[in-house]
Amino acid sequence: MRALLSLTVANIKSFVRDRQALFWTLAFPLIFIFLFGAIFSGGSSKTKIGFADADGSAASIALQQVFASVPVVDLTQGTEDEMLAKFQHGDVSGVVVVAKGYGAAVAAADAGTGPPASVTIYTDPSQSSTANIVKGLVSGVLAQANLGSKPQSIVPVLADLKTQDLNAVSYLVPSILGMSIMQLGIFSAIPLVGDRQKLILKRLSATPLRRWQLIGSNIIMRLLLGLAQTSIIVGIGALVFNVKITGNLFAVAGLSMLGAVAFISLGYVVASFAKTEESANGMVSAIQFPLMFLSGTFFPIDVMPSALQGVARFLPLTYLSDAMRQVMVNGAAYAPLAVCVAVLAGWSVVCFGISARFFKWQ
Amino acid sequence: MAGTHAEVVIGAHDLQKHYGPLAAVDGVTFEVYRGEVFGLLGPNGAGKTTTVEMLEGLRMPDGGTLEVLGIDVAAHPDDLKERIGVTLQTAELYPKLTVVEVLDLFRSFYRRSLPTEELIDFLDLGERRNGRTKELSGGQRQRLAVALALVNDPEVIFLDEPTTGLDPAARRSLWDLIEKLKGQGKTILLTTHYMEEAEVLCDRLAIMDHGKLIEMGTISEVVSRRFKERAVQFDRVEGLDDARLAAMTAVSSVKHDDGEVLLYTSDVPATISDLLAATEELKVEAHNLTVRRATLEDVFLVLTGRALRD
Repeated sequence: MRALLSLTVANIKSFVRDRQALFWTLAFPLIFIFLFGAIFSGGSSKTKIGFADADGSAASIALQQVFASVPVVDLTQGTEDEMLAKFQHGDVSGVVVVAKGYGAAVAAADAGTGPPASVTIYTDPSQSSTANIVKGLVSGVLAQANLGSKPQSIVPVLADLKTQDLNAVSYLVPSILGMSIMQLGIFSAIPLVGDRQKLILKRLSATPLRRWQLIGSNIIMRLLLGLAQTSIIVGIGALVFNVKITGNLFAVAGLSMLGAVAFISLGYVVASFAKTEESANGMVSAIQFPLMFLSGTFFPIDVMPSALQGVARFLPLTYLSDAMRQVMVNGAAYAPLAVCVAVLAGWSVVCFGISARFFKWQ
Repeated sequence: MAGTHAEVVIGAHDLQKHYGPLAAVDGVTFEVYRGEVFGLLGPNGAGKTTTVEMLEGLRMPDGGTLEVLGIDVAAHPDDLKERIGVTLQTAELYPKLTVVEVLDLFRSFYRRSLPTEELIDFLDLGERRNGRTKELSGGQRQRLAVALALVNDPEVIFLDEPTTGLDPAARRSLWDLIEKLKGQGKTILLTTHYMEEAEVLCDRLAIMDHGKLIEMGTISEVVSRRFKERAVQFDRVEGLDDARLAAMTAVSSVKHDDGEVLLYTSDVPATISDLLAATEELKVEAHNLTVRRATLEDVFLVLTGRALRD
């Protein structure tokens, strides 16, 4: 136990003192988030609201003009179905639906012969800060439209609708976390091969240190780094990019750990077949780039050509990032969470099996 | 040293190790006694390192028996590892850690270990104690490697080419260190490329080539067994071929080493007189002509056909 602990501490010290490793592990994912976050967020600070007018009366057009005149609102118009579809895809943050007969209802309410006319507002309760902004804006607009009419002639009817898709940054942050965990895991191959090449593994074999202690300390170090990465990425995502973390943070951390184990096992497979540090480096790159781009990290898998979708189905990162989006931001499921977990666990078992069979200590 | 009362610390009998069709170690038998420094000499690829790694429990022999400190190495390598110290040919270890940190790390691997301070003092690493190991000089790095071999206060120490690549001063300081360890009663097995090192340090030695031991004993035993002769040495002369040299009076063998010719002879005046006659005839001169006793280097050259330093 003492040996395992000392070796873990030694590994962490070596890692932390290696500025380059530290940069690639902790800073690089953040650069990705900032870069892609800036590209995808489009620079607009306006709140996008969809407006579906089924009535087409003078009153409904007047209401639409009030919305359009609010400087912080970016209004899109269309049918209710179109607007709800945009909402589903995260293109608008909320939808205002004016039903048929709205004009008549407003007239009746103004004349005191009917109840206030209603306007339906769709927001996503899981995106509560955005939902609140939309609700606030709509209430403000309606209050303005109601000005002078007593009692109120228009009342908002709030409708909750869970969106399936996420805005770009909410999609990106869990994906980048998955990608970082993937890199952290596979990169375990490189120092391992280096240590074997430099006879460090052989030197350690000449001590009573057990092999499980050596491997165990490497895994523990990577898991701790994975936790650090998770905290940083989730923290920056939530604080800087306002990504609403809907899930349990322990579940996020647990998923990170499972993902780290799955990709460490892949790293060990690489270390089993790479003879030099250079070849390990090449193999790691050859694995990580396709994984990065074909596993739905930057865009959803269903927008890729179907041949590539078929490839994505077999990539472990697909399931890690998918699970991460489901757990962190309530993202649309590519596969059920249980399937994702099972794929990652199964992957780990297979890869550790292969490494146990083929890894050479000398 | 090889007396009847000496305790056998390393006993190898008919040791075998094969890699495919290649017999890296082919029937090696020897004993090392408590408190002696035993040298294993041989050209690269002779099987020295493979032999040592089997003694250390790092490789399993394919055949033969092997006991170190009374432990059957093949059956209980982990028991052995608590009680031996090892240096390998490369000593690059944890470049980002300090001397003290690496020592403490290795101490944590053993049930019993010497205090870090004692090791640092013994190996004279005090001024570099908090320096990262990658900043150490070659000699300091090798001293650290020896320190790591000593953390568990081992009874047997294996040093694989401990001074290869060191400058003469660093080499001499490591020799002093090995003498000190011997003074503490440690048993040391070392491999080396340097004849002088073997002559200075080793009580007994074995010469290995092509996986077999071809000579073993104290240095004077080994040299005198092979050579009643002396060596006549001179710079190579154009026009004097080996056949002609070998035909000279009393010459038993002719060897070349780095531009020099070596004639091993049982009658120095007769051989030199033949040599002078031959050079006179060719109207040339044999430069740097010297006569000396045969040394370990000569034994090695004759046995393996190669100079040890190659």
